[in-house]
Amino acid sequence: MNVLDIRGLTKKFGDFIAVDNMSLTIREGEIFGFLGSNGAGKSTTINMVSSLLRPTGGEIRILEKDIMKHSRFAKMNLGVVPQDLAIYEDMTAYENVSFFAGLYGLRGTELKERTEEALTFVGLGDKAKSFPKNFSGGMKRRLNIACAIAHKPKLIIMDEPTVGIDPQSRNYILTSVRKLNESGCTIIYTSHYMEEVEEICSRIAIVDHGKIIAEGTKEQLKSTVTDVKDIRIELKSAQGGESEGLKTIPGVRNVLQDEQVIRIQSDAAVDNLNRILKQLMDNGKEIRAVEEQEPNLETVFLTLTGRNLRD
Amino acid sequence: MNILSIALKEIKQDLRDRRTLVFMLGFPIVLMLILGMALSNAFSSDVKIGDLKVLMKDSTGGGELSQAFNAFTKEIGKTGVRFESLQPGMDGRTEVENNRYVDYVELTPQGISLYGSSRDTIASNIVQGMLASFTDKYNAAVAVAKIEPAQTEAVFASGGTDYIKEMSITPNRTPSSVDYYALAMTVMVGMWAAMSAGGLIQSEISRGTGNRLIIAPVSKGEIFTGKILGGMMTNVLCVAAMILFSKYVFKAYWGSHMGIVAIVLLSEVIMAMGLGLACGYMIKGRAGRNVVSLIVQLMSFFGGAYFPIGNDSGSGLMGFLINLSPIRWANHGLTQVIYGNDVSAAWPVVCINIGFAVLFLGASIIVMRRQEGL
Repeated sequence: MNVLDIRGLTKKFGDFIAVDNMSLTIREGEIFGFLGSNGAGKSTTINMVSSLLRPTGGEIRILEKDIMKHSRFAKMNLGVVPQDLAIYEDMTAYENVSFFAGLYGLRGTELKERTEEALTFVGLGDKAKSFPKNFSGGMKRRLNIACAIAHKPKLIIMDEPTVGIDPQSRNYILTSVRKLNESGCTIIYTSHYMEEVEEICSRIAIVDHGKIIAEGTKEQLKSTVTDVKDIRIELKSAQGGESEGLKTIPGVRNVLQDEQVIRIQSDAAVDNLNRILKQLMDNGKEIRAVEEQEPNLETVFLTLTGRNLRD
Repeated sequence: MNILSIALKEIKQDLRDRRTLVFMLGFPIVLMLILGMALSNAFSSDVKIGDLKVLMKDSTGGGELSQAFNAFTKEIGKTGVRFESLQPGMDGRTEVENNRYVDYVELTPQGISLYGSSRDTIASNIVQGMLASFTDKYNAAVAVAKIEPAQTEAVFASGGTDYIKEMSITPNRTPSSVDYYALAMTVMVGMWAAMSAGGLIQSEISRGTGNRLIIAPVSKGEIFTGKILGGMMTNVLCVAAMILFSKYVFKAYWGSHMGIVAIVLLSEVIMAMGLGLACGYMIKGRAGRNVVSLIVQLMSFFGGAYFPIGNDSGSGLMGFLINLSPIRWANHGLTQVIYGNDVSAAWPVVCINIGFAVLFLGASIIVMRRQEGL
């Protein structure tokens, strides 16, 4: 069964097209990654699926039902972990989860059990009576997740759930995502962290300028760039402009410089590493490190868009 | 059920916000105490004038008038009005003009003449009233003496020694300063519902929880109704606390129509919430709340919350602004109900409040339905 079907989805803000005729299908049991840089259109798409924004055009179906015509059904089966924290700091963790779960029709013993279950799942079982204002950032993010899962939705959207938190909490959240998926939830996971998406997602869509520019499993996506090699050169110091002239070297497709780090995408078949290094050294640059990386999703993104994922 | 759930959540959050509660209740109670004590004289119908000194000169050379007058001055002396004889070298009028005496009375064979102070007209008028009363009795005694000399004493004995009777045209009971400020502050607290309502929806948006509410299977109408209900309950509780505190701690008088008083105050809270919500929707962000605060403070000022506004509210811009204040309408109406026992005075206030509430809430609903999200 298709849990989510998007057909020709468009959203315009005046003349600006945030989502441009997007079509997408997510099957039951998937952890679907939505990868793209800031402003690509990920959050706008998610907001339309969540009914926070009205689409300018197109159709969205959750569990094969149009969300405009079957709004309540769609909402009952959807859980959203928003990018920004959405919790009440002046209510206890238990009260937060219980309140939001109650809006989904849960009552009495069932409400109590689901609330406790959700808090235990995110590792806040012993903090049920505590107030979020005393929580760390990671704990607040986990409470944010608990509020979205207590009613056991079939589809969970997690919009950048690990932004700004410590690595321990981040790992906990990623583990929780896998566990949720194992329990039968379909998950849409949006992020601009390639490593996270590579780690947990079974299928990925890369979004740029409101369009899906690539879609498939991570192996399928990486296979589109097997003819590309990724070279990472770290200079000892940089004043800017060091990467100029490198594009003229045969085989070089893309060059991006971020302070002292130069990333070069080049044809895998062309052996041009020595020439690249020689040009840099001839220009008086001192090289600290050189690394030739396996193609990853960032390589795919760079190949398709000419930009870094984190730009 | 969702409406109730949202309302209960709202009440829980409001009651946990101790700082706001202390401000909403503590500040008006303190003002009630301070203004009630400081301005108590402004409400008193008793005027203490202290002892009065009257200068007199008896040129009758003795006789009935002189004797009767001496008896009169002795009696009057018990009330604090002292008559002193004019000493040689003194000029009675000059003494009065220099404010050493309230009045100067001259007894002559032709009668009594009085020279009164223009500075202390209250005291002078009191003495004048007493003298007028004495004169009436003396003239009556003279007339009776011509017909029945034996009854002359009876004339002076009748009516006792009260030469001034208290007469007041103010009906029933009038408010003391504490009574006034108990009412004024309670009405003001009711109006403060507008300030909390101004941030009712905005607080959900700024917390991010507004989106979570929209994503849930709850309609915007349910969210809107639940939040208004919750906010209203909290404000009604604050108003009730003000009434109970003023009634049982400050012993303020609330009349014998508490049900009607409650209805008027409830209508005021509903109207205030509508006003706050409408401002919150029309003017986004912090500016909306600031505008509401300004409007409420102006309404409090012109409505008589801080100092009494009489029935004559003046003309021109000031009069217009005073009459525009819902606090003024509520104060005026409730004063009629509590002190005049005029229950019918409540209904125009209730109708105006509900009318405006419908207008403001209607405008809020229209804006809410048009916009995406809360």
